[in-house]
Amino acid sequence: MEAKLEGKRVRRFTADLSAVGEPALWAFGGALALGIILICGFLFMIFWNGMVTFWPKPIEVVTLNSGEVVAGEPTRTNVFRPAANLLEDLSPELRSAIAANDGLVSRTLFRTGNYDLYNEDFRWLTEFDIKSVERPTDMFFLERQEWGPFIGRIKSLVINGVETDPQALGVSGIRAEQQAARARFDEIRRIERSEIGVVNHEINRERLATRRIELSDGVESQAYRDQVVASQARIADLEKTFQTLQARANEIKEQDRSFRIILEDVNGRAKEAQLSQIVRFYAANDLGLFQKLGVYLSRWNEFLTSEPREANTEGGILPAIFGTVVMTLMMVILVAPFGVITALYLREYAKQGRLVAMVRIAVNNLAGVPSIVYGVFGLGFFAYAVGGGIDALFFPERLPSPTFGTGGILWAALTLSLLTVPVVIVAAEEALSAVPRSIREGSLACGASKWQTIRSIVLPHAMPGIMTGLILAMARGAGEVAPLMLVGVVKLAPELPVDSLFPYVHLERSFMHLGFHIFDVGFQSRNSEAGKPMVFVTTLLLLALIVMMNSAAIYVRNNLKKKFAGSQF
Amino acid sequence: MSDTPGSSNIAQKGYKRLLPIGRTTRRSVLFADRAADAIIKVGGLLVILAVFGILAFLAKEAMPLFYGGSLQSQKSFVLPAKPEMIWSSADEYQTIGLRISSNGRVESFHVDTGTPLANYELDFQGDTATAIGATVNRSDLVFGFSDGSVRFGRVALDTEILKGDAMPSGLTALGAEDYTDGSVVYRRIAGNQIRRMSVSANVRPPQQVADDGVAIKAIGFTVGGTVERPTTSYVSVDANGVGRLSRSETRINLMTRAETVSTRSSALPPLPAGTVVEKVLLSPQADQVYVGVADGTVHRFDTRDFDKPVLAETSKLTPDGAELGVLGFMIGGQTLFVGGTDGSLRMYFRLQPENPGTVDGYKMVLARELEKQPAAIISYAVSQRGKSLVTADAGGNVWFRHATSEQTLLKLKQSEAPKDGQIQAMLMPRDDGAMIINTSGVADLWKFYVPHPETTWRAIFGKLWYEGYSEPSYTWQSSSGTDVFEPKFSLVPLIFGTLKATVYSLMFAIPISLLAAIYTSEFVHRSVRATVKPLMEMMESLPTVVLGFIAALILAPLVESWIAAVLLGFIALPLGLMIAAHLWQMLPPAMALKLNGLPKFALMFIVIAVSTWLAYLLGPWFENTLFSGDFKAWTNRDVGSGVPFMGLVLWPLTFLGLTMLFNRTVGTTYRMHVRGLSREAAGRIDGARWLSMAVLSGLASFGIALLLDIGGFDPRGGVVDTYIQRNALVVGMVMGFAIIPNIYTLAEDALNSVPSHLRAASLAAGATPWQTAIWVVLPTAMSGVFAAVMIGMGRAVGETMIVVMAAGNTPVLDWNIFNGLRTLSANIAVELPEAVIGGTLYRMLFLAALALFVITFVINTGAEVIRQRFRKRAFQL
Repeated sequence: MEAKLEGKRVRRFTADLSAVGEPALWAFGGALALGIILICGFLFMIFWNGMVTFWPKPIEVVTLNSGEVVAGEPTRTNVFRPAANLLEDLSPELRSAIAANDGLVSRTLFRTGNYDLYNEDFRWLTEFDIKSVERPTDMFFLERQEWGPFIGRIKSLVINGVETDPQALGVSGIRAEQQAARARFDEIRRIERSEIGVVNHEINRERLATRRIELSDGVESQAYRDQVVASQARIADLEKTFQTLQARANEIKEQDRSFRIILEDVNGRAKEAQLSQIVRFYAANDLGLFQKLGVYLSRWNEFLTSEPREANTEGGILPAIFGTVVMTLMMVILVAPFGVITALYLREYAKQGRLVAMVRIAVNNLAGVPSIVYGVFGLGFFAYAVGGGIDALFFPERLPSPTFGTGGILWAALTLSLLTVPVVIVAAEEALSAVPRSIREGSLACGASKWQTIRSIVLPHAMPGIMTGLILAMARGAGEVAPLMLVGVVKLAPELPVDSLFPYVHLERSFMHLGFHIFDVGFQSRNSEAGKPMVFVTTLLLLALIVMMNSAAIYVRNNLKKKFAGSQF
Repeated sequence: MSDTPGSSNIAQKGYKRLLPIGRTTRRSVLFADRAADAIIKVGGLLVILAVFGILAFLAKEAMPLFYGGSLQSQKSFVLPAKPEMIWSSADEYQTIGLRISSNGRVESFHVDTGTPLANYELDFQGDTATAIGATVNRSDLVFGFSDGSVRFGRVALDTEILKGDAMPSGLTALGAEDYTDGSVVYRRIAGNQIRRMSVSANVRPPQQVADDGVAIKAIGFTVGGTVERPTTSYVSVDANGVGRLSRSETRINLMTRAETVSTRSSALPPLPAGTVVEKVLLSPQADQVYVGVADGTVHRFDTRDFDKPVLAETSKLTPDGAELGVLGFMIGGQTLFVGGTDGSLRMYFRLQPENPGTVDGYKMVLARELEKQPAAIISYAVSQRGKSLVTADAGGNVWFRHATSEQTLLKLKQSEAPKDGQIQAMLMPRDDGAMIINTSGVADLWKFYVPHPETTWRAIFGKLWYEGYSEPSYTWQSSSGTDVFEPKFSLVPLIFGTLKATVYSLMFAIPISLLAAIYTSEFVHRSVRATVKPLMEMMESLPTVVLGFIAALILAPLVESWIAAVLLGFIALPLGLMIAAHLWQMLPPAMALKLNGLPKFALMFIVIAVSTWLAYLLGPWFENTLFSGDFKAWTNRDVGSGVPFMGLVLWPLTFLGLTMLFNRTVGTTYRMHVRGLSREAAGRIDGARWLSMAVLSGLASFGIALLLDIGGFDPRGGVVDTYIQRNALVVGMVMGFAIIPNIYTLAEDALNSVPSHLRAASLAAGATPWQTAIWVVLPTAMSGVFAAVMIGMGRAVGETMIVVMAAGNTPVLDWNIFNGLRTLSANIAVELPEAVIGGTLYRMLFLAALALFVITFVINTGAEVIRQRFRKRAFQL
């Protein structure tokens, strides 16, 4: 009787909360939400900071309570807790106001520029220091070739030796003169860098050829004497060319010196500079939307297409982009055949047994071995052991300065291909194993040889998977920095690994890399605050590159899967 | 069609053949097949070999660290007997050796062949040296004489590099590569150059130190001052047992180049009568004098006040029953070693212990006791560049050892045991050879190769007592600014740092990633999963240099200025979610069901945002109330008490305890009661229960914290200590963020691969989704989830850029979450670019890389094995 009653009551139990586990569900869901918030927030922060960096900001002229006048771009504002000694100097009202605000005070970081005058680029101004803020329209923001930006007024101009009133010229007139001066600057640079560079390269090659014969045949040999005579003649010729080029460069330089600009900061301290040293200038508080957009785009253009200046904290990052792309491509060229061949071997040729299973586990785990370990190996084995051997065999004339016996783009690519080969092997193997047995057997039954089957049946079917693996490997390789720090990445590489001089591709050269650029500018530059915007833009670029590669991998995977889905038996 | 003669007839008649009769495959096809076969096999095997070659190469580079040393050659030759020999020396290329006699005669000889070269005279004016002292480089000497005078001398071996064509003519060959004109030795070296070795010997006029006619018995000296004004301090003990400390200053007149020497002396406090002084030593700063007595007692004088030396300490340094054999300094003068007549070798540091029992507060502390030699130690020579030394005993044994690592590197044997105990031991300047000459003129010469004398397993993984340290410690310090610096290579602080970074990042990553994975796999709609999963996968290939930059330059300053809000966030987020969950329970079932999908998920976002916002707003209040308004000062123990913090830490634990207590006692009754009510009413009651328990446990935890505080326990000083901007908290957060995607995707894969029929069965049997997830899916997928955590751990162990940038890179051994750390990987990245190829640091870093390789490989293999087993099981279900 009682048992029956119990049974009936059970059905009415509607509120067993422990069965629903609501609090735990919220913890689970909260964790997922937190993860998504973190990732999206992170991506958004990079995107936002990267995108706004180049947007021209207004210049504020701040009058302080002490009477001092400071001009600069406000960059960011935060709150801080003033130290006790700072509080003592304040008036009682201010002190009580601060105490009411939990002892916190807001302050703004101004980018004052004018490093050559002030010995600092940035300055914190606390809210109680500021008396008034205004935005006069005659304040200019001038980006210079050296010393960072100048913030101030244009006092006067010297055009071709004649002092000119900037008012009369107007902004467009000044801009035209500045463009002309920049053109001269570029011309001087072109002559000095590429034309004289070629001559220097030739002279150096002559010297090395002589040294090579000296080492192989000895000083007393006839060959050496002939070479000395011949190379001296050639060097003399080259030096003549060098003189002419130098003279031409000097001539333009001389002309350039008579175009000058006289600037003054907000307090009237004057600074004179050559007009050609001004990279870009604009009246920050007198810009329309389109003019701002113009400045913004021109900065992006410079960033993507020119070389860095100011210890990498300004200018462009073309060499880094170039280095990253070339290194990644070399890596893929190296890793693709080896990865696929290994996967083919493991899947199609090796006898499936315990050993192969173990090898498979090991290869799989190599993907998890820290990248720095590969860097150590790359340095010790490729650069020092192999590179040192190559130097001794093929470049004895350059010793003791190493050619291949130190970090370089080839060793970096090889190291990264070792690092990423497990990724490719695993992906390719997975793709190969997904090819149905029936197609393979069909092909063999039709009389195709094993290789024919692999080449025309198996590989095309596995291609989407292999491509995905390769692209993922590229994404991983492009983002790795730690091993590169050991095997050839440098903060500034004046010579690109590919250029117009024989043998065109210089595998031994060290190179710049986007990831290392971030590390270098963020950590090793004079002022990490000045480099921060640059780091954000570089980060954005690197991230975009990697997201693009990943998306491409996903796209290829989905697209090719569809294409082959129908053709399967 | 069959292969019959008929068909061939058809072919002959001109019909088109469908298949070749012989069915021969084209040669090119066969060739391509064979070539592909070979290439793929060889290529595949090569790649696999190459990948394992990494391990072999790293091991090969690191192995020499553990080779003790190898003897390259051993030679002996006989020079004329010279009973009055008092000193020997040789140059760093082991070309010219020399010995000095007590009458001032310097005889040089060719080290490789033993051929005698020119002799030089130090002008002792007929006196006989009765004592000699020398600096570590063995060329600056001081002689004490029987008439109580002292002479300074310099017997140096000079090296000069000449051009290849500057070899004079008319030289005689010495051995394979050397040429001599009788006194100077020339050797051809690489780069078409010639090395010219010569001897220079001179002595200064005597200075009277002791009373006239009282012989100097022992002398020790040191050189200081500047090049323009060198000062020489020396200490001497005469035959009457009177010790004197003297200081000579040499001034060079810039006009006339004439030197003037002025000497001052002060007497040491007298020693007990009858003391037989064997040896005196002066520390390099001339602030300590050690007087060794024949019975093994050493008297230490504090001479910081030059005019008033004090006898600071007297103690017997040799073991019981042993008398003094040798007494000397290692380079740098911080280690005093004492060799006994029983063959013992002990090393002492002058330290400031708690109760020194001495006048000046310092005490000689026995730091190391090296392996005992078979016979009494009679001679020694210390390295000029490191902490190695050679000791020779009366039985003819010559041992080459390293002081810090306490290892005996080579045990050599003289060709003829010394008869009178008078031998001169010499360690070559490059630590690559030793020379022993005895009075009968027999010279033994060993060349050895000991590349890394300082590294042993104990030095790398155990505690060592380094100079200047008050106790043995694990220390990593590979370089420093000073000359006499000894590199310290213990991997323990680095392995510890790696572990610390891994633990803190896992503490951050595991809860978020695993809970999120379970939620994604079991509770959200397919479409949400389809967007979240690729997002997470993409985050896996995020460059860590970006994360490091964010961590160090954005997050670390932010956390530093908002530390209270961050800590509050760790409380506010779970608390907010719990409150929201209990409020949700109070909703009417129909409404809850309606909002159950995306709206509920969206609400969670809102709750997190609101909790974060509240933490941000309440941060200053939180800091003011619990940490006296300044968290960083609080961690330094400058302000506040540990009670509030301890209370907060204990809160979740007491809550857990209280919940368990509740479930054990009234839990069943409560559930029975509640399940009969309506959903809303049950929700309200449960909310009230939860709230009261939270408050109660909060009060309880603060009470316990108060008790602990009264008991003298303060949470500060262990896991919580002095705040540094780049710290383990920031590293934990960012590295945790970096490994969340790894753990998440793998764990989600594991959960997702649980066959769906298990879920269906559970649901059909009446279980709720929550019960299904926790009691059916999770246990099945447990091993896969565990493997995911292990793989995340493997990645955290090897992560480099984040720790290089955000961890502060201090190799310390503490768990303080607010202090920095240095991991193996960061250490490699920072130090390898500057390491000299083949040097000890270079090989140590290879060892660190090998350790990292092995650690991660083991972790990953373990995870992989578990994962494969799980897969197999999941398929079988």
